[in-house]
Amino acid sequence: MNSNKKTLPDKNGFFGDYGGKFVPETLMYALEELESTYKKLKDNPEFKNQFYKDLSEFVGRPSPLYFAERLTKHYGTGSIWLKREDLNHTGAHKINNTIGQILLAKHMGKKRIIAETGAGQHGVATATVAARLGLECHIYMGSEDVQRQSLNVYRIKLLGAQVHAVDSGSATLKDALNEALRDWVTNVDDTYYIIGSVTGPHPYPMIVRDFNSVVGEELINQSKELFNSMPNAIVACVGGGSNAMGAFYPFINIKETRLIGVEAGGEGVETGEHAAPLNDGTPGVLHGALSYLMQDDTGQVKGTKSVSAGLDYPGVGPEHSWLKDSGRAEYVAVSDNAALKAFHEVSEFEGIIPALETAHAFAYLDTLMKEFDKKANIIVNVSGRGDKDINTVAEIDGIKF
Amino acid sequence: MNRLTKTLSDLKDNNKKALVAYLVAGDPDISSTIQLMNLFVESGVDVIEIGVPFTDPIAEGPIIQKAHDRALKNNISLESIFSMVSEFRKHNNETPIVLMGYLNTFIFYKKLIEENKNNAIDSILVVDIPGELNLKDYGIHSPNINTISLISPTTQINRIESIAKNSTGFVYYVTLRGVTGASNLDVNEISNNVEEIKKHASVPTLAGFGIKSVEDAKLLSDCSDGIIIGSSIVQMIEESSKSKEFDRIGNYLTEIKKAIL
Repeated sequence: MNSNKKTLPDKNGFFGDYGGKFVPETLMYALEELESTYKKLKDNPEFKNQFYKDLSEFVGRPSPLYFAERLTKHYGTGSIWLKREDLNHTGAHKINNTIGQILLAKHMGKKRIIAETGAGQHGVATATVAARLGLECHIYMGSEDVQRQSLNVYRIKLLGAQVHAVDSGSATLKDALNEALRDWVTNVDDTYYIIGSVTGPHPYPMIVRDFNSVVGEELINQSKELFNSMPNAIVACVGGGSNAMGAFYPFINIKETRLIGVEAGGEGVETGEHAAPLNDGTPGVLHGALSYLMQDDTGQVKGTKSVSAGLDYPGVGPEHSWLKDSGRAEYVAVSDNAALKAFHEVSEFEGIIPALETAHAFAYLDTLMKEFDKKANIIVNVSGRGDKDINTVAEIDGIKF
Repeated sequence: MNRLTKTLSDLKDNNKKALVAYLVAGDPDISSTIQLMNLFVESGVDVIEIGVPFTDPIAEGPIIQKAHDRALKNNISLESIFSMVSEFRKHNNETPIVLMGYLNTFIFYKKLIEENKNNAIDSILVVDIPGELNLKDYGIHSPNINTISLISPTTQINRIESIAKNSTGFVYYVTLRGVTGASNLDVNEISNNVEEIKKHASVPTLAGFGIKSVEDAKLLSDCSDGIIIGSSIVQMIEESSKSKEFDRIGNYLTEIKKAIL
């Protein structure tokens, strides 16, 4: 929401070479309408007050920046701090963006809300804000994800929204996005599409980033307060990239802070069975934006593999592609196994069961903490809590309830 | 002269409407596609529109999505489509061919397009790009290939002019809010919008998306320069994909061609 400093994206929605607005013509007007509404409202004091009031009273912001004492001891180098997005209402950072976008939908007079979801967190967050305003809500979810995130499916239904299982293609997040876009093309006049990540056509990557930047803005103040300097590094997992972008964005001009995005390495980046386009992809167009993409040698989008439904996506937000090429952020990948190990370790060391997505960020500490001395301060963005993943992890561990 | 430009202008000179028929390359297999292309021509189709399969065809309804999936199982790429059309060109050098697909595939194969071996292809329609953008800016161009832009019921009047001017093959008017194969045609709206487009376009305006029955075809051809039929053909291809007896499709197209004359 802080609009006084950055210039990207440009007027066509590009971050350097990446981004744009590559959608069927029927959606062009809807995107223009959204962009002009957002531009009009984003600096409007009344709109901002409502946004921050909802974040405070309904979401419970600011989320704490918490010192992870035992994890810090475990590594024995720098101090590890946890940005507790898992404590937000609905259990993840996803609610920040939906709080903002539902206000836009309301201003635009839209009666029907749609969204895609992978891990189900964005579906829950969208169903939550739609319920609050009494709006009809439809959530698209890959049928494979409906299976592995059944708890969130039920939460979405409890919130009064309809879940549409998507069987086409790989039956995961990318296919849910395809189906949501098709719904939007069909019902464009009365429907608002709340995209859940910094992906999709312009202006979505900008809007989702701005709303979620509340995370990074809080981090600047909390870092000053708690350790009186800017952090040496911020580590966040990257699927589409919204939690990372929200944490990174206010730090782009704070050069002493390293920005590190951790992608899903699946079976290992070298095996090709992963969801790490920034590590092992090439630029391509998917879901309305040009960005790094996992594609085969005929220009088709490749299937992905990750234990984490929320990271199981072949594309990534265009601003991350720009941050990668410009060198401002670093992008690494960790395997399913490393993430699962971190999932257990963080639970036992800190009494915090992280989402499997978040566990990827934690897993990278094994490598990263060796690069720092005791004076360093490292922030891990705890993007969400792991309750939704209990069934998945139990099954992997051979436990039946 | 480009085959598409010539065909459309000949039709116009004779006061006739164009019939464009769509299929997905490699559905159910390459040899059937060539067989179907010949059948289209025999049945009075003026322009063949070849769908280039893509893993994530966001503008397609379920019928054409499934056809894309079937084609991809046969490993159809733009490369194999170029060889297929070259094969077709050995005995047909008149029928214009339009490739319709998604930006990623065309960017990926921009060298093949530039080369356009044997002058096989006449036009390119990219579904997921704003109509006023020039494909050349994305490296997609070839001296003898023109481009087709889409205009939809939601396109605002201030953009119609620039899109119409950017379209060098024909203007494709999307007749409904929705994906291919949907069924919510509003003939009044269509007729008004096509009229508006024609004020600005120097090329013909054709209508497509959601045309199923002979009556639909007749109604829409009355207010445009021609029509595009896709999903209903692809549905019939699916139903005959085992028997490979496609006569029914030929009869259907013949009937439509008769109705729109």
